[in-house]
Amino acid sequence: MFLYEKKLQYPVKIKNPNAKFAKIIISQLGGPDGELAAAMRYLHQRYTVPYGQIVGILTDVAVEELAHLEMVAAILYQLTKGLSPEEIRAAGMDQYFVDHTAGLYPASAAGVPCDMKYIGVKGDLLADLNEDLAAEQKARVTYDNILRLVDDPDVQDPIRYLRARELVHYQRFGDALRIAQDKLDEKNFYAFNPSFDKICPNGGCNH
Amino acid sequence: MLYGNELLKEIQAEDFAVYEAALYLDAHPNCEKALAYYREHKCAVKKLKEKYEELYGPLTIYSSADCDSWQWVNGPWPWEKEAN
Repeated sequence: MFLYEKKLQYPVKIKNPNAKFAKIIISQLGGPDGELAAAMRYLHQRYTVPYGQIVGILTDVAVEELAHLEMVAAILYQLTKGLSPEEIRAAGMDQYFVDHTAGLYPASAAGVPCDMKYIGVKGDLLADLNEDLAAEQKARVTYDNILRLVDDPDVQDPIRYLRARELVHYQRFGDALRIAQDKLDEKNFYAFNPSFDKICPNGGCNH
Repeated sequence: MLYGNELLKEIQAEDFAVYEAALYLDAHPNCEKALAYYREHKCAVKKLKEKYEELYGPLTIYSSADCDSWQWVNGPWPWEKEAN
């Protein structure tokens, strides 16, 4: 089960609301490389993985992504709190406002609602771990792009923290891929899917 | 309500150390240095959380019923500026 702890993983304290920044940063809530998609990707990939170390990595990274989802939500909440309809209109947030008011709806910066098409659960350990490595890099790029567009230090600080975590997760998924490959037939990694094929007592593959 | 911002920051820093060590240990379960680091920070965070909950209220629902009323529902909630 999951247990909620009433604190953010890292502080978010933004003095000046700014709807223009919120319009960009919302992509890390519900965009293609956002935190919601990341958490769902790892949580659902882990069930058929036969190696405890890799199940541990997928579980713990997924849970941290939920903490990051909450941090992104805190950034968006504080950036949009107390804005007048005039300020919302001036920032171009009126198209979002008409459907969601100041509520936090997971969507991309372009307004596309979050979609499970953003994630892959192939059920093949090497395919899924390679997707996860790419996903962490794509999320890192999105944070880099946000840092190119946002100049408020109160916003930059938690965004930099989130960016750094993508790099650490990339390292851990690299470890996971190494652990998986160490357990496979070195002559042909791809002849055997440990998440599905039965492990032969004599080693090697069974098809 | 006075919120323990400084104490909360200490907890966040210690919790971060614990979580980072846990992620590393998933991949390197026999690393003695990482195990020692994990134990040290786990111990520190436990003490800080007990102090925090005594002063400012529960961090989880399992520590919410020590008073006459249900403190869990008291704000500020973590996403509010006042809580950070």
